[in-house]
Amino acid sequence: MITAELNKKLWSAQGGMELALRFDLGTGESLTLYGDSGAGKTSTLRMLAGLLPPDSGRIVVGGETWYDADKNIDLPPQQRDIGFVFQDYALFPNLTARQNLLYGLRKGEEDFLEELIAISGLGELQHKKPGQLSGGQQQRVALARALVRKPKLLLLDEPMSALDHQMRNQLQDFLINAQQSYGLTIILVSHDLGEVIKLSDRVAVLESGSICKVGSPAEVFMQHKISGKFQFSGRVLHIQQEEVVWIITLLIATNVVKVVVSEKESRELQVGDQVVVASKAFNPILNKV
Amino acid sequence: MNKVKGVISGIEVSGSLSLVSVHCGNRVLKSIIIDTPDTLGYLVQGADVELLFKETEVVIAKPGPLDISLQNRIPATVFSISKGELLSSLILNSELGKLESIISTAAVTQLKLEPGKVVQAMVKLNEMMLSPC
Repeated sequence: MITAELNKKLWSAQGGMELALRFDLGTGESLTLYGDSGAGKTSTLRMLAGLLPPDSGRIVVGGETWYDADKNIDLPPQQRDIGFVFQDYALFPNLTARQNLLYGLRKGEEDFLEELIAISGLGELQHKKPGQLSGGQQQRVALARALVRKPKLLLLDEPMSALDHQMRNQLQDFLINAQQSYGLTIILVSHDLGEVIKLSDRVAVLESGSICKVGSPAEVFMQHKISGKFQFSGRVLHIQQEEVVWIITLLIATNVVKVVVSEKESRELQVGDQVVVASKAFNPILNKV
Repeated sequence: MNKVKGVISGIEVSGSLSLVSVHCGNRVLKSIIIDTPDTLGYLVQGADVELLFKETEVVIAKPGPLDISLQNRIPATVFSISKGELLSSLILNSELGKLESIISTAAVTQLKLEPGKVVQAMVKLNEMMLSPC
């Protein structure tokens, strides 16, 4: 169980901002922090990790107090049982991928190291140094390194942004398995709606330093709770007018589909927007292939 | 998407299907959904809901009795028509507010539709989605 209460004055491009958050998270649960750039997501992760001191508040993880402003408790990062992947990977440049993982490995867990290397697809790359690896490959090393200690709390800041779809899927499945096997509690920052829906039990939407909405991914993203059973989330790729209707081309996972909407609806859409596509279960036809 | 506000006035359940009656003004519109009061929290008598249906699913007929299976029938007046070569958009004034229907331009010609004409807008019950409001 994690209880966090964090208050911090932050400075962003838009000026000063008061971050004030409170949330509880059960052991083995995963929470996604979702919101615009500068809303305070990364700062929250850094405060949980002990890399950024809050102005006031409290962090208690599994009954252990990591931070308490009133009691003057502030455990350094190395004493907090966490794994993290930040956007800049922060790998040791002079160590190979394998050595980067070994650095954090507990004694007697060598089998787990091999499993991690295999699942992250690092078999061929394990003896290369970060400088010889691509962004996506470095991200995989960083993710494997974060998991190597089976931490109580895993903090992930856009952990798969540099990966292609297939590798992303593979590592998401791996994360879900690892979470179930080791009871990992995960706090994730992600803008990828598919990833958020797949990986998180709960989503907290951050706006200017505070949580404006919290709930399951379905509650948060399918706000209208439309009864239609044929629902997907997708991204707008293209908007095109044809006579009195507008044809919206959408990317849903790896599929490109088209949906016809009215002029009024088209005016509310822009290329890049995330949308929920809903239809009644009565409409689609199925063709066995 | 057309949106019509109403109040749930009846729910008939059979297995995992529900036929939901929604009172909208003086009219009852019906929607069939794959949900029951056990699976959908707002599916209760008296709940405020919106009925959602696509413009392309709104059928237009001349007024008067019709031997036709469509039971969701809304009397309306044509407010405006935007004609394309193949498709036309009709904006309708009805007791439930403004509605849009997209039908073929050929049908607009055949039915001699023009602003001011009285029509019936009809929607199949399996095309009606529900949303809480």
